[in-house]
Amino acid sequence: MKKLSVSLLAMMVAGSAYAADMGAVDEPIKLAINEWTGQHVTTHVAGEMLKAAGYNVEYVTAGMMNQFQAIADGDITATLEIWSSNVSDEYAKKIDEGTVVEIGDLGLDAKEGIAYPAHVADLCPGLPAWEALKDCAQVFATAETLPGGRLVDYPADWGTPGADRMVGLELPFKAVPAGSEGALIAELRASTERKSPLLITFWQPHWAMSAYDVQFVDLPAGEEACFNDPAWGPNPNAVNDCDFSPSRIFKASWNGMEDKWPAAFEILSNFELAVEDQQPMMGAIDVDGGQVEEVVAAWMAENEDKWRPVVDAATQ
Amino acid sequence: MTAVTDLPSQHASHLTVGAKAALITVVVGAICLALEGVAPWLVKWPTAWELPATQWVGAFLDWFLNGIKPAMRLFSDLMAYPMYWANVLLGSQPWPIEPIDLSEPIEPIVTPWPLVIAVVTAIGWYLGGLPMATLGFLGLSFVLASGYWTESMSTLALVSVSVPVALVVGGAIGILANEVPRVKSFVQAVLDVMQTVPTFAYLTPLLLLFGFGPVVGLIASAIYAAPPMARNVMLGLERVEPEIKEAAIMSGGTRFQQLFQVEIPAAATQIMVGVNQCLMAALSMVIIAAVIGGFNDIGWEVLLTMRKAQFGESLLAGLVIVVFAVVIDRMSGTLATERKRYDQRVVWAILVFTALFTAAFWAWLPNPSELTLLDPVAEAVDSGLTAFTQANGPWLDALKNNSLFYVLLPLRIGLDQAVLPFTWGFQWTPGMSFGLFAVGAAIAALMAWRGHLTGGLVVLILIGMLETGISNLPWPFVLTGAAALSFVAGGWRLAALSVGLLCTILVSGLWERALLSLYLSGAAVFSCAVVGGLIGLASAVWEPVWKVVRPICDMLQTIPLFVFLIPVLMVFQIGEFSAFLAICAYAIVPMIRYTRHGLVNTPEEMMEAAISSGATEWQIMRDVRAPYAAPTILLGLNQTILYAFAMLVIAALIGTTGLGQSIYLALGQADVGLGISAGAAMAILALVADRIVQGFAEEQRKALGL
Repeated sequence: MKKLSVSLLAMMVAGSAYAADMGAVDEPIKLAINEWTGQHVTTHVAGEMLKAAGYNVEYVTAGMMNQFQAIADGDITATLEIWSSNVSDEYAKKIDEGTVVEIGDLGLDAKEGIAYPAHVADLCPGLPAWEALKDCAQVFATAETLPGGRLVDYPADWGTPGADRMVGLELPFKAVPAGSEGALIAELRASTERKSPLLITFWQPHWAMSAYDVQFVDLPAGEEACFNDPAWGPNPNAVNDCDFSPSRIFKASWNGMEDKWPAAFEILSNFELAVEDQQPMMGAIDVDGGQVEEVVAAWMAENEDKWRPVVDAATQ
Repeated sequence: MTAVTDLPSQHASHLTVGAKAALITVVVGAICLALEGVAPWLVKWPTAWELPATQWVGAFLDWFLNGIKPAMRLFSDLMAYPMYWANVLLGSQPWPIEPIDLSEPIEPIVTPWPLVIAVVTAIGWYLGGLPMATLGFLGLSFVLASGYWTESMSTLALVSVSVPVALVVGGAIGILANEVPRVKSFVQAVLDVMQTVPTFAYLTPLLLLFGFGPVVGLIASAIYAAPPMARNVMLGLERVEPEIKEAAIMSGGTRFQQLFQVEIPAAATQIMVGVNQCLMAALSMVIIAAVIGGFNDIGWEVLLTMRKAQFGESLLAGLVIVVFAVVIDRMSGTLATERKRYDQRVVWAILVFTALFTAAFWAWLPNPSELTLLDPVAEAVDSGLTAFTQANGPWLDALKNNSLFYVLLPLRIGLDQAVLPFTWGFQWTPGMSFGLFAVGAAIAALMAWRGHLTGGLVVLILIGMLETGISNLPWPFVLTGAAALSFVAGGWRLAALSVGLLCTILVSGLWERALLSLYLSGAAVFSCAVVGGLIGLASAVWEPVWKVVRPICDMLQTIPLFVFLIPVLMVFQIGEFSAFLAICAYAIVPMIRYTRHGLVNTPEEMMEAAISSGATEWQIMRDVRAPYAAPTILLGLNQTILYAFAMLVIAALIGTTGLGQSIYLALGQADVGLGISAGAAMAILALVADRIVQGFAEEQRKALGL
């Protein structure tokens, strides 16, 4: 409910479009740079928008999991790409304290799921239908998981969504936690290069989706009932017998931001970025080796109509 | 020589201490095994008996940390100044120059890179003449060519602020222990804790205390770097000749004067060894501190490239740290030795020339971040890795599967669970367990009859452990075994300490995870001891081997360990075998170094005596060199154990399930209690193992009359 009211408020603010005070333009607004490229793109686009509005912006590297204490202290002003699927308990704590406030959805359309590199479809005919996995578990079996197949799950600190699916759908797979994102990518890379079987828990937007031609397994739609009502779905005795619930990607800021930089707060609250815009920029950086500053600058120059109105609404 | 030949005679007496200890362990093990079915609480510590220790620790720490937070925040604010200026001086941040005309933004002015290279080269010349100057110049040129100049200078700024802090703290601790002998053993324990609790475990509390930013990394590396300084100060002051001390007393100086004007200068060489070790330790922490973030340093670059599984790039970024380590190590190493003076005019010549050069070519100096001279190398390394995994997939898979089926799995869950039709081709039955124990008992009886009762009992214990698996060992057996080993190594006090410490893990509910960690590091330590010992032996007897092995050892010790995870993962995938290899890669180094060092440094007199008595090369090795080197080799084993535990945390990044994973979970959830408890459990395991091995080393040293 709380989340809903916040986003409603954001919409009302956007609708009324009054020019806010600039606030402390001399003091830098510090935006968190986390560990992945998509977030770098998002943050740099937002940062350039703030600069265009006349603010002083500083980019600060910060661990995704550890940044919330810094935001609560005001050492970092805002972080712009939080995945609901991968957010630390500390965030909830800080939200309850009131020191960190959520400032609306980023508008990125995210998807998580059980996935495989395209060549695996040859090894397990019947994919992407999930039922095919029942019979090809042997193909994915390894020394640690015998006699079951092996599913590479998220690192343990992100939760165990993959393992939950396997249990819910009664698939003969054992989930192995990956330990880190680097480990997930190394698995995808090795599997693609060696044409070896791999089933993995993965998400998009992510540069590796296109780089390794990753496909999602079709699972029954992840409706609310699936997670509460065992009777729902193909397995009448278990919950979680369906796809992932859709992830939300949102933004958060220090609670003092609205008073200190009112217009900037409005810009960040209304700021949105679509997958169609973010994913090509990620590719330009990770696959073609571009610098994030240059790639974002090029996009800003070409797509002024997409971001200029948000800046103007807050400042004019 | 006589002492060595005396050793076996101990076994002749009817029941040695070792035999008694082993016998008790066997009895406890047998009882546990027999009662397994009746009393499951013997095997697995019941959850109901666990104390919510992690919550208590968390609650206490929250209270404590919030209490001292204001003072620490003040300290943090103070440290931000030297940090800022170090960054400005080294050129990773622009100079704070206000533009005269505010309307027109000016290009920010940063310290030009040729000046930094020139200063390092000049310092190299001043410390060690042409070789050091060349090393400094080439090292920094590599950094420049890598394109990571700005990030590297951030790292250097961090080290240049954290090392003085560590030196002052470490020096003060060392002097304190020297002045107040009563606190010495306490100080030793504190230093051990500072070095064995994994840094990841205390990153969360540090973040809470010092606020976000580079200061956290600075404090973390200072905590880790202070102990070597403290230890060397203590050692140096201890070793000051009594005559020198007396002379100082007789000349009527106050204690303060004696200490600072006589004793510390007399201990200078040893203290300089401490400075060198302190620098190296601070540098090795850089990557860990980057996990929090806060500023754009080379550690962050390694993490980013690692996240993309780009081996070439992360190796390049890692090598920058290696280059720093080598330059700093060699240059500060000259401080610890007597050195001659080099012409200072050369220093000025280098600086003036570079200043003129920089001024003349100001506009043409390339931006160091845009240099990509080494990118092709990184790409080549990366595609080389791809080609390797593609070409060697099948036999590498076979290697991995065989190691898992026949070694690692039985060690972890025991033969009774690991032997399955899928793995060994048949099913393990209780009858086989019985047969195995019968064979073990027969071997033990045979060895006892031949006069090796202790050895026979140890064989029986090992067979029992293999049948049950380390992670399924009953806790009374583990406690008795640890107590017995500690008693043999160091008497009642050590036995009580080991049991007491292990009990804290047991009641805190981390026992299962601790056993998993014990299994993985135990397997790694055992392999390192065997393989590393052999490599050390080969390096000792044949010089060319050492020429190849030494630089590899240097690199393995200084490069951020994260870098190795990628190739290991690419080849062997996520899982225990990869973690095992990663741990081995790091922990094998001290074993090689100490084995070689011990074997090479046999005193001349002993060698001559052996040669003149007509011993063959092989006899000298077995009867003279090896026993003499034993204490040193045991010290190497001790270091290998500590390194293996240190690496466990990093191995958790490739999906292990022991204490290392708990520490990551705690870091992610900012759970101070769990992080510190898991870190403490790891430190306890390492400390107990350390004390036991040191006890044995001490015994051997006494036996040799050293």
